[in-house]
Amino acid sequence: MLTAQSSLGIIFFPAFDWAISPTHPEREERLLYTQDQFREEGIFDIEGIREYRPLVAEEKDIMRAHFCFPSVQSVCTDSHFISAGGVIRAAQLVMQKERQRAFAVVRPPGHHAMRTVHGSRGFCNINIEAVMIEWIREHYGNLRVAVVDTDCHHGDGTQDIYWHDPDVLFISLHQDGRTLYPGTGFPSESGGPKALGRTINVPMPPRTSDEGYLMTVERIVMPILDHFKPDLIINSAGQDNHFSDPITNMNFTAQGYAKLTQMLKPDIAVLEGGYAIKGALPYVNLGISLALAGVDFSAVQEPDLDREKIREQKSTIDYLSALCDQLPDIYFNPRPSEAVRENGYFVRRRSIYYDTDDITETQVERLKDCPHCPGLLIVESETAKTPKSLGLHVPVQGCDMCSQEAEERFVKSRQAGFAHAQISDRVTKRYEYAK
Amino acid sequence: MLIGIDVGGTHTDGVCIRDGRVEAMAKVPTDHDNLLATITEALRAILKDCKSAEIRTINLSTTLSTNAIVTGHTEKVGMFVIPGPGIDANAYALGNQYHILSGCVDHRGAISAKVRVDQIRPMAARCREEGIRVYGVVGKFCTRNPEQETAIAEALAPQSDFVTQGHRVSESLNFGRRISTVYYNSAVWRTFNAFADALEQSLKDLNIQADINIVKADGGTMPLKLAREIPVQSIFSGPAASVMGILSTSPVTEDALILDIGGTTTDMAVLLDGVPLLERDGISIGEHPTLVRALKVESIGIGGDSFISSRDGQLRVGPDRHGPCMAAGGPAPALMDAMNVLGHAAFGDRERSAKGIKEVAMIQGLSARECAEQAVSLAMDILKKRVSAFLTAINARPVYTIQEILEDRVVRPASILVIGGPAVAMVPLLEETFGLPVVAPRHAEVANAIGACLTRPTQSLVLTVDTSRGSFTVPGLGIHKTVKRTYTLEEAVHDATTLLRAELDRQGIPAEDGDIQVIQADAFNMVEGHYTIGRNIRVRCQMRPGVITTLAS
Ligand SMILES: [Zn+2]
Ligand SMILES: [Zn+2]
Ligand SMILES: [Zn+2]
Repeated sequence: MLTAQSSLGIIFFPAFDWAISPTHPEREERLLYTQDQFREEGIFDIEGIREYRPLVAEEKDIMRAHFCFPSVQSVCTDSHFISAGGVIRAAQLVMQKERQRAFAVVRPPGHHAMRTVHGSRGFCNINIEAVMIEWIREHYGNLRVAVVDTDCHHGDGTQDIYWHDPDVLFISLHQDGRTLYPGTGFPSESGGPKALGRTINVPMPPRTSDEGYLMTVERIVMPILDHFKPDLIINSAGQDNHFSDPITNMNFTAQGYAKLTQMLKPDIAVLEGGYAIKGALPYVNLGISLALAGVDFSAVQEPDLDREKIREQKSTIDYLSALCDQLPDIYFNPRPSEAVRENGYFVRRRSIYYDTDDITETQVERLKDCPHCPGLLIVESETAKTPKSLGLHVPVQGCDMCSQEAEERFVKSRQAGFAHAQISDRVTKRYEYAK
Repeated sequence: MLIGIDVGGTHTDGVCIRDGRVEAMAKVPTDHDNLLATITEALRAILKDCKSAEIRTINLSTTLSTNAIVTGHTEKVGMFVIPGPGIDANAYALGNQYHILSGCVDHRGAISAKVRVDQIRPMAARCREEGIRVYGVVGKFCTRNPEQETAIAEALAPQSDFVTQGHRVSESLNFGRRISTVYYNSAVWRTFNAFADALEQSLKDLNIQADINIVKADGGTMPLKLAREIPVQSIFSGPAASVMGILSTSPVTEDALILDIGGTTTDMAVLLDGVPLLERDGISIGEHPTLVRALKVESIGIGGDSFISSRDGQLRVGPDRHGPCMAAGGPAPALMDAMNVLGHAAFGDRERSAKGIKEVAMIQGLSARECAEQAVSLAMDILKKRVSAFLTAINARPVYTIQEILEDRVVRPASILVIGGPAVAMVPLLEETFGLPVVAPRHAEVANAIGACLTRPTQSLVLTVDTSRGSFTVPGLGIHKTVKRTYTLEEAVHDATTLLRAELDRQGIPAEDGDIQVIQADAFNMVEGHYTIGRNIRVRCQMRPGVITTLAS
């Protein structure tokens, strides 16, 4: 009988009764073949690997990580609460030491969901990793967390949520934004003024395969992780780098994903994207699960794999090698901030497009330049449908002064002309909407 | 007139039931080396009270296959597996003639690498040299496409008496479990068939012309003819017989807990709306999980003969047994003795019980009564803890739809049904411990045989359709054909239930309309690019597990 070297909990939630639309990539069929493969391979018969059902997240779990306008209910369906609850379950298993590692194979995904939510971006409404990390920090104190996003798309949502957080290191490896949605994720995006070098973006050329991908992990990700010494490593395990994925252009394989997992040794992996649901997901999910459990995965392979056909050209390897030489510097020697300062606040004015729901949001973000903490975050946001709304977020490392200022602004929000206001004070654990 | 026989570890029980009434009962000691003689003896005893010509059906729950496996009296099997990529198939190796072949079927049933039949020649030759005459062939995803399995089985046919093919033992997915299921099926095939031959002869000698059914671990029966093909399904049917025995003596429609309290252990099972809960995948044989469908039963190391001792200054009950309790002439005090001392029971020699308990009580510095009280409450605590963990695990079972999560159907027993020797004496204690009504059905002493007698045949069927490939598969019936692209879920449900009904008819199993239950009916749109290219349809239906009739009160 096979035995896991690291005990592993898998939260498998295929949401067989939920889809964005009948022919949408994010539909009922998406995890069907993964379930077939898991069952046929009998992975839950491996000693040390167990299947768990998800929890259902509560509104306050969502509100720790997000400003949802006009309300949490308006942007979350049941499936979002369950998918977020699935990753909370994963965290619970690991934090309570019931399992050494956990893998949340749930849908819908979340890494394009930013701090403020008006609807769906890139099939994501709720950032399930962020909801989980904030749940962990609420219950276990402020841990240092590293999120390594290996989805083929830039994890712009997770980047946004942790842009100002010095205790969360966010590393995203993805297909170059000049060739793929959402078109961001360049090395110059390296963290807000209070968290310089805590965001690392690794754009890779199209058709990168196992050799190039694993080289970037080894030469960029691993040294930074070694230095950052996180309490927890989270892997946003998107599977759309696969050579058969229909909406991307990379050439990664199930073996590659398994080796990446073996190298990274994440405490918790969370399924993100990946839409080659017949040709990739069953094999990649199997490979990742076995690697997480420390079970031999060398015989896991796609039936139609032709290694020669997908091997990267030398020019691709050379390009990546140069990237490997330069990128770690962003973390080790961050450049001084170019952030705009106005009256004691750092200010970003942005327009954010929600491609899945066709919403355009106008946003002004202010971060208090607080001498005691990473600072109160104030967001003013509006769309054609939702009038001017206010979000106030006191970070988990926040100070009393920031907490007090948030409270004052929250109380006066109506007077100040905001139709909706949400406060998320991580210090006082207050998560509310203005009535 | 129906006959039920349950071959137990110590005794073999038999009953004869007519119109819901027990007409005859028999209890004979089990001779494990000659089960046929034991069964014949039980039949003879029953026949004293009823006429052989009137017997229509004999249902038999036997330990034959289980014993063969547990004692290692099984035949050598030549195994041929076709794993394709995935978890290393060596992890499932059984026997010393275990051969891994090339070839690959993927989850859709598409053959992505052809198995080469000629490559088995040297392996088959080695099996021949070892005198191997039974074989097993298992392919990964063979339930989606058994072509390769069948090809290898055909190639082995000339040198074999029997070949078990993976897609015939279970319609469920799980390659590793299928390998052990197939292996054990072939390993007990000859023993079972020799027994079946002798049994048929013996019935002829007794002038009995009846249908013979074998009780399965899932609480259903299968005709002897089918059991000859899949004898592995008859393993571990004992607990199923007792659960069905309870169902046939006290009809239940709610959630209930079943406790079969024996000498050494207590087996627990759960009824969900009156229907027994099954293991998700299948039962394990030793360390090898299989796909043999079985009722979910768990054992607790507490029974009437559980040894009461004082170790490190602490009073303990179970899990070991040092022979029967003192009241029954045993060497050491046991739970039943404590029950005697407390007046809960009046079993056997109560003087001896008192003497035994007193000895332990002295070490503990307690009175005999205090000691007995503590022992009994300790035993109840253990039962309660284990039952609650059992229910928690059941209620934590994974679910896969939003609706299931939100509905959150929690199993909450409304009553407890108990059988077994010490059960009746424990009724008030169990009521107090669990705060639930506790019922001990009549005829508890032969409940297993009654269960065997009245349990209905079960049969399940899985139909998978991929309308983009036009493939239609019912592995259990060996049906693999093509359908039109417009085939719908409604048609699939209709076809699955019709096929199951036809199969039940073919086996001579009566089924009413409500007996066939559709337990899964899913259709998934399959999309390529932006177009729906077809539907992936999965229908699973079964003959609902249950009893033919309940005993008249
Ligand atoms: Zn990414
Ligand atoms: Zn993606
Ligand atoms: Zn502050």
